[in-house]
Amino acid sequence: MMQRNILVILENKPGALARVVGLFHQRGYNIESLHVDPVKDVENYKEIEDSLDLKLQENEVSKLLITTTVSDNLLRQILRQINKLIDVLIAKEEI
Amino acid sequence: MKLAGNDMLIQSLVDEGVEFLFGYPGGAALHIYDAIFNQNELQHILVRHEQGATHAADGYARATGKPGVVLVTSGPGATNAITGIATAFMDSIPMVVLSGQVASHLIGTDAFQETDMIGISRPIVKHSFSIESAEEIPRVIKEAFHIATSGRPGPVVIDIPKDTTAPDKLFNYDPPKSVKIRSYNPPVEPDPKQIERAISEILKAKKPVIYAGGGAINSNASEELYELNELLNFPVTNTLMGLGVYPASKKRFMGMLGMHGTYQSNMAMHNADLIIAIGARFDDRITNTPDLFAPNAKIIHFDVDQSSVSKIIEANIAVFGQVKNSLREINKQLKEKINLIDKNKIEPWLDQIDEWTSLHGLNHELYKETSDNNMIMPQSVVQHVYQITNGSAFVTSDVGQHQMFAAQYYHFDKPRYWINSGGLGTMGFGLPAAMGVKLAYPDEEVVCITGEGSIQMCIQELSTCTQYNLPIKIININNEALGMVKQWQDMSYGGRHSESTYQSSLPNFIELVESYGHVGFKIEKNSDLKETLEEAFSIKDKLVFVDVYVDPSEHVYPMLVAPNGSLKDMWLSKDKKV
Repeated sequence: MMQRNILVILENKPGALARVVGLFHQRGYNIESLHVDPVKDVENYKEIEDSLDLKLQENEVSKLLITTTVSDNLLRQILRQINKLIDVLIAKEEI
Repeated sequence: MKLAGNDMLIQSLVDEGVEFLFGYPGGAALHIYDAIFNQNELQHILVRHEQGATHAADGYARATGKPGVVLVTSGPGATNAITGIATAFMDSIPMVVLSGQVASHLIGTDAFQETDMIGISRPIVKHSFSIESAEEIPRVIKEAFHIATSGRPGPVVIDIPKDTTAPDKLFNYDPPKSVKIRSYNPPVEPDPKQIERAISEILKAKKPVIYAGGGAINSNASEELYELNELLNFPVTNTLMGLGVYPASKKRFMGMLGMHGTYQSNMAMHNADLIIAIGARFDDRITNTPDLFAPNAKIIHFDVDQSSVSKIIEANIAVFGQVKNSLREINKQLKEKINLIDKNKIEPWLDQIDEWTSLHGLNHELYKETSDNNMIMPQSVVQHVYQITNGSAFVTSDVGQHQMFAAQYYHFDKPRYWINSGGLGTMGFGLPAAMGVKLAYPDEEVVCITGEGSIQMCIQELSTCTQYNLPIKIININNEALGMVKQWQDMSYGGRHSESTYQSSLPNFIELVESYGHVGFKIEKNSDLKETLEEAFSIKDKLVFVDVYVDPSEHVYPMLVAPNGSLKDMWLSKDKKV
């Protein structure tokens, strides 16, 4: 068990944040800290744009940073669950 | 074409190929209902409770593979639909639920019949939409159907504020031709390298088992699975949700596995050196104690949902993609290596399984025309129904002992013919699900095997069956108790039957169904069972309800020993444990 930072890029739509936060509760995972912002500096997300083959516009997506303390296996499961949410573009561990 | 919001909604459904809309009207949905009145391309089925609408749509979806569609009003209409949505979610059934909502300007004011449907349904939907303006209705419908039916299927809720379906404002109806959601890209084709790795394990295996579940049915992969096993000749077990995906009458089929699975299936899984999981998710009714599960087996897991793989049991090889496509690829690669398949290597294993089957396989002795005290065994009711219908009926069930007896003793040779609530275990599912199946296949025999507990949870739908003339057969396996609850109380609570019996309060089911215009038969003696069931099944134009009184002390076996048991630990009868 160790503290992890999870980065989530999701569509900036009503209800999208609630789906991610709700998933933690439904699946019995704990959130230690949570920070959310609309993404303005799209030029700093080139890597994500390339991996998903798309172009981001200012304020079109939100960046979510979640801190949680979990094992490796559970982290993999959490990331897969978050990535399954329809409004999520990508969820990954931020090292 | 210029259309108002309500007409755009209905036209969008018609364009998606929707035949039936299962629903119940109310204030917030009235604009939509007016649009239904003015068309004749899709048929609305008026249920008697919104739970019935969701289960009927669900039954339709399971039998046809097409999404079931539901329309309910706001507030209680929406909340009543929740159980059915959760049922579809747990079993990955494609469904689109349209829920009326109070007008946009009233949202958040605790208006009459307002409830936060998006919030309430969030944990039990694949996705949900809230309509913000009429213009987006065609796009949202298109996206909702795409999401509900692709990847791992599931229910999608669309919440529709009343003002967005107002008839007085017209819009240009121009639905999108195709749909692309940039954040939603479920896997389709497998990684051929993973298939190669899977094949190298398959060629090495001495004690292999194929374990296939509902995902293989959802992906329409039964032909590919059949072809795979024509190449391999491996023993096959199906989950409760997977029954029919591999033909039960094939020699290598071992029956269902898990909590009430066959002795040979559970023993084979426990002793296997290779488990090939195909669209199955290792849930707790299958694994028993996960730490004790199949200690010597390598796992190859085929699934479209990455989060189902290595969730409970770690997979050695994961193949992500539509199961159908993955099996097609493995069949292709296997055919190229056909000379490397050594069928003799698994002969001792197949002999071992045959030995297990003859030692403790299902007790087919229960099927008999006479008995000492003339009492009817519940298993023999299912066996008679199987005989009379030549094993070719659609069978829906409710939840409890009768469900397990049906799963054990009705042998399904084709997918989509066995329709039950496996994941959520929803009592009340069977009758409305049978309505959905009968509407889809009016010329097929549709049987609902139920119990006197479950049937009373949605019995109001007998009225819907009258309105739409749905001649289904309802076989009520009546043990005058909540049988599965009582069984657990017998086994784990010293026989204390807390609140699991009705104290002589059951209705006269025959008079009850006759009051709806249906036909009823009551069977109490084993000597009458065959003849009366045959008479019931000879009636083709009416709903027939057969109330069969069975031995109330009967338990479902085999049953896994829990807690702290493995798959080899089973009760085989009330006094025999292995």
